[in-house]
Amino acid sequence: MINQLLWGYYYAVLMLILFMSIYGIAVRPNLLKKIIMLSILSDTANILAVMIGLHVGRTIPPVYPGITFTVETLPNSTSLKEFAKQAVDPLPQVLVVTAIVIGLAVLVFLSFTAILLYRKYGTLDTRDIINRIRGETQ
Amino acid sequence: MTVEYTLQHILLLVALTLALIFTYKTLVERDLIEAIVYSAGQAVAYGLAFIALMAPDLALAYIAVGVGIYSALFIIVVSHTERYEKE
Repeated sequence: MINQLLWGYYYAVLMLILFMSIYGIAVRPNLLKKIIMLSILSDTANILAVMIGLHVGRTIPPVYPGITFTVETLPNSTSLKEFAKQAVDPLPQVLVVTAIVIGLAVLVFLSFTAILLYRKYGTLDTRDIINRIRGETQ
Repeated sequence: MTVEYTLQHILLLVALTLALIFTYKTLVERDLIEAIVYSAGQAVAYGLAFIALMAPDLALAYIAVGVGIYSALFIIVVSHTERYEKE
């Protein structure tokens, strides 16, 4: 019972953060504020992806414990089954590592686009930028 | 419930609530430097959440990227452009 309440709270908080960041991207006029909220949005998506791989009650990372460079006892099938019952799913974590790096590259590109827009139009406010573009064309 | 399981839930509760508060402060802040600082705090809270979700490698990578590189990048943008957000 308390388990279901806690998981409901976690998903509710993550959805709230998701909607707040989408609001920031869509409504706030400043370009840098939009970029900051986009970083929060991608990180929330990453947290949700990792949370899918976490089955309830699993308490160890997906690395087999006790193996070093000087291996004494290799794992057998029973110990591997015991390990697989306790460890979390490693596949979403591997995907999220690439997602973090790709998100960093996207944010670098958007930041320097914002700097170039400021050099051309003298402001980061999207309403002013749109007004100046319309004024130039007329 | 075992001890590790309870600790996992406490850490997730604290981390996600902190992330919610920091995201709200980032959204309503007019000073962009302060918004960047709140966003770095949100990155620390998500790092704690990654530790609670049993992904310590992601926590290492994410805290380095979220606190270090994102903040430096946004501060570079602020230094080339304007600091305060207009109404």
